[in-house]
Amino acid sequence: MLYPTFTVKDFCKDPAFIRWVTDPTPELIQFWEEFMLDYPQKIIDIQLATNYVSTIRFAEIDPSPKDLARLKKRIWADIDQQSVPVIPMPGRVLGWYRQPYWAAAAVLLLVSAIGLGWWKYQANAALTYQTAYGKIQEIRLADGSIVTLNANSSLKVANHIDNSSTREVWLKGEAYFDIAKRQGSNFIVHTPGVQVEVLGTEFNVNTRREQTNVVLHEGKVQLRAYNQLAVVMKPGDMATVIRQSRHIALKKVEPDVYDAWKESYIVLDGQPLSEIVATLEDTFGVTINLADAQLANKKLTGKLRTEVADDCIENLAIIIEADVTKTGNTYRFVVE
Amino acid sequence: MTTQLTPTQHTLLWDNFRSGDDHAFSKLYELFAADLYRYGYNLIRNRQLVEDCLHELFLHLHESRERLGPTNNIRFYLYRALRRRLLDTVGKENKLSSEAYLFDSAEFLIPPHEQALVDDELIDHQTRILIGELNKLPKRQKEILYLVYMKGLTYPQAAEVMGIAMKSVYNTINVALATLRSHMHESFRQEGVLWSLIGTGLSYLVYNLWV
Repeated sequence: MLYPTFTVKDFCKDPAFIRWVTDPTPELIQFWEEFMLDYPQKIIDIQLATNYVSTIRFAEIDPSPKDLARLKKRIWADIDQQSVPVIPMPGRVLGWYRQPYWAAAAVLLLVSAIGLGWWKYQANAALTYQTAYGKIQEIRLADGSIVTLNANSSLKVANHIDNSSTREVWLKGEAYFDIAKRQGSNFIVHTPGVQVEVLGTEFNVNTRREQTNVVLHEGKVQLRAYNQLAVVMKPGDMATVIRQSRHIALKKVEPDVYDAWKESYIVLDGQPLSEIVATLEDTFGVTINLADAQLANKKLTGKLRTEVADDCIENLAIIIEADVTKTGNTYRFVVE
Repeated sequence: MTTQLTPTQHTLLWDNFRSGDDHAFSKLYELFAADLYRYGYNLIRNRQLVEDCLHELFLHLHESRERLGPTNNIRFYLYRALRRRLLDTVGKENKLSSEAYLFDSAEFLIPPHEQALVDDELIDHQTRILIGELNKLPKRQKEILYLVYMKGLTYPQAAEVMGIAMKSVYNTINVALATLRSHMHESFRQEGVLWSLIGTGLSYLVYNLWV
């Protein structure tokens, strides 16, 4: 053993010595006590070294139990969301929104059956709302906020939303939020990679198509994507976060264009046809083929009612002067 | 202090977690979340950012638990992961050398009065000067001292967490100890504390002999 020859400095550098001073275990205490009995001439050096080592302490700020509990809730909620079982469909590489209607319905039934069972067993479990294709649902949350859930979307609401300092929901699809103001209680909408944080306001969130789109109607919201610095949005701003590039783009828009779906129509404001087709596919759960590649870039203006899928798509065909044929769930546009 | 687990217990807990035990995962959070929070907050003074990184870190751990390597010091493993994550995040935001931001606001703690020592006021004064000197150390050196002396990491572990050479760790420890020695020795001699230390040492010895 080298310890009897140790100087103050040597002790200070010795891992076992450091641990004895900072984080002692019974074994270490016993060892060093015995050592001091065996080598009393080292006691002064040890005392000095102890003083040195215990001076090297940093100020630390403890998280509050509330912070830790909230973080834990957030982590576990996301884990639950991730572990929704995926039904493998061998040989088919279709987007989930293009799956046949029955599969979606079966999954929906399964999810809601599990959800219902779970809810019955655990009265305080989180609530999840899910809309079918072509259906819009208005949800009044316990805190007084109103969420309009667009077709083919789901919203999970955290427990005890009415008496918690952070009101949290998780969105897949599209929804319009009218948040009730609450003193000292913020509201967070989680979407994949993006969090929208608000105090009291109205805004639209769309998470379809590998991006999250937030349009602010009134009030003020803070957007945080992939832990980048928060972006503060003003009314009329639209923030688009593309999941792959993690880039946030901010631009001024006419908010009414983006939440017209609440009134069952969409505003055509010079978007290319391909965008409108994507929206309709998401809303109705159908596939729309454009026979002509040039058609995809055609820019449209006007209004399109979206109450009934067949009517809506036929009207669209009239606008673009195309013929439409329907086979099962697939519509095909052919230019005359 | 914080996590009084033996290396064997670390290995056991980590292995249980890796094999998919959800209780082990909860336990990991209970044992290490606060500790990681403290380190993270000393690295970056931004609660939200630290919290978001911890959120991502724990999700990542859970997601890829089967692919993670073994460890007998979970704190070391998690510190390394958290530091990388914070570094990446800050780097993305500022597009500058992100290292420049880390451990910027961490300060040495001025210890509470040591009742055993003779003249509290004088000691206090000396300690303040010493802490002032220590706070002047470059922040990378401070972080090394933090990891080694406060968090009980070994030298190779501290070097790996910070992504630096072992030599830097040794050098830093030497510089810090030199600072401590010049200031403490001086003050102790001046105030005659050395004698009281000898006294304390002797009484300690006598106490131990009696017990």
